[in-house]
Amino acid sequence: MSAEFNPNIVAFLCNWCSYAGADLAGTSRVNYPSNIQIIRVMCSGRVNPLYVMNALQQGADGVLVSGCHPGDCHYMEGNFFARRRLGMLKDLMEFVGVDPKRFHMSWVSASEGHKWKEVVEKTVEDAKEAGPFEGFRRRQIDW
Amino acid sequence: MKMDLEQLRKTAAEVVARDDVKYLVGWKQGTYGYRVAPGFVEDAAGAAELIFSPLCTANLATYLTLVEELPIPRGQEPDDRKVAVMVKGCDSRAVTQLIVEKGIKKDEVVVIGCPCPGVVDPNLLAEKYPETEDQVEMKWNGEGFLLLRGGEETKIARDEVLAEKCRLCRYPNPVYSDIMLGDPVEPWETDEDKGVEEVEGKDVEERAEYWAEQFDKCVRCYSCRNVCPLCYCQDCVLDRLNPTWVNRAVNFSENTAFNIARAFHLGGRCIECGECERVCPANIPLGKINRKLAREVRDKYGFEPGVDPDAEPFQASFKPDDPEEFIL
Repeated sequence: MSAEFNPNIVAFLCNWCSYAGADLAGTSRVNYPSNIQIIRVMCSGRVNPLYVMNALQQGADGVLVSGCHPGDCHYMEGNFFARRRLGMLKDLMEFVGVDPKRFHMSWVSASEGHKWKEVVEKTVEDAKEAGPFEGFRRRQIDW
Repeated sequence: MKMDLEQLRKTAAEVVARDDVKYLVGWKQGTYGYRVAPGFVEDAAGAAELIFSPLCTANLATYLTLVEELPIPRGQEPDDRKVAVMVKGCDSRAVTQLIVEKGIKKDEVVVIGCPCPGVVDPNLLAEKYPETEDQVEMKWNGEGFLLLRGGEETKIARDEVLAEKCRLCRYPNPVYSDIMLGDPVEPWETDEDKGVEEVEGKDVEERAEYWAEQFDKCVRCYSCRNVCPLCYCQDCVLDRLNPTWVNRAVNFSENTAFNIARAFHLGGRCIECGECERVCPANIPLGKINRKLAREVRDKYGFEPGVDPDAEPFQASFKPDDPEEFIL
């Protein structure tokens, strides 16, 4: 066991902006924490709130959803829907006792490699503050 | 009493006699105690059994979407006659929301609106006035209720047994109806939503503890889903096996995921009729989650479900200036 807690973060990135932005961060050799597991989705509007729930159930300590800036969506309006839904999900999760630091949403465009770094740093820092997620994680049962 | 039963039964009989009406869903006397059963009325004799009393808690709008649509045998025409339904204020919002979502069509229903001065909470009532096998009658009596049982009359103060949803009710009169019965009631001053505020006042860990205790009780009977007038997907995400969104195991993790999924699917749609909480065998305060979400949607997005039949569904629309202060 290392002394410092290393959170598991699941990130859902939209194919057109944030994924390309993370790619740019890589090609421009920006250093950022490696706690993040990226899942590429076609649009942030594709992210079902149950993805977030499932990630937390299956061992994530934090979830990040990132998409194009409003108005820049490849599908015109997908991120507007995402903003409404996931904003509501955040309120709901906070109400049922999930630390709001565990769930973040961001807009990162394909040219914002440095913003991506900041977003990841903030997400990881917050997840570290919140500690390991024990809330409703699915437990392995030893029969 | 603002509306008399004579008028209700007469109107119901007139409606079921119409050629374009299949049947009418109303409330009728249950078999014992404080029970009130849904009545499916097809003729004048059935219409004479209908009641409307403070015990009529059930939201009958559920039955509009609960009907199983069987395949039509070859050579037969589909029965596209209308269904009439009796609604209170809150139920009428469910009907409106169903119309908004195109769950039902406006010309498929005849909505009979009953202005409602507030119904009782059957559990509270049974606690204070133990339930017997006798059938009871209950009436609105000025500010309170009148309980008639076995020739005895009991006056009950309104605050004593009023259901929680009615304390917070802002729409006692049907917002959408084809036929309106009786005079509209005066909307009353609503209390602060103490249940939600109490939970909001806790910090995150206390809240997690509180809900852990509640969700642990859940037996996953899905009554809350089945009774909900707005949970009517033919292929519910909770029943799916491939992909399995929510496992069927009854444990705390899956219970929480289920309850969050259920509440989220009602985000911006719940009309606060309180049916889920009423039917819950484990007494989980589901109303608190629903009301909290409804309040967030009202305060942050300025949207209220089930008020305007021409509105756009909340989760299927957006405004360019939706709040985004939570976004990094």
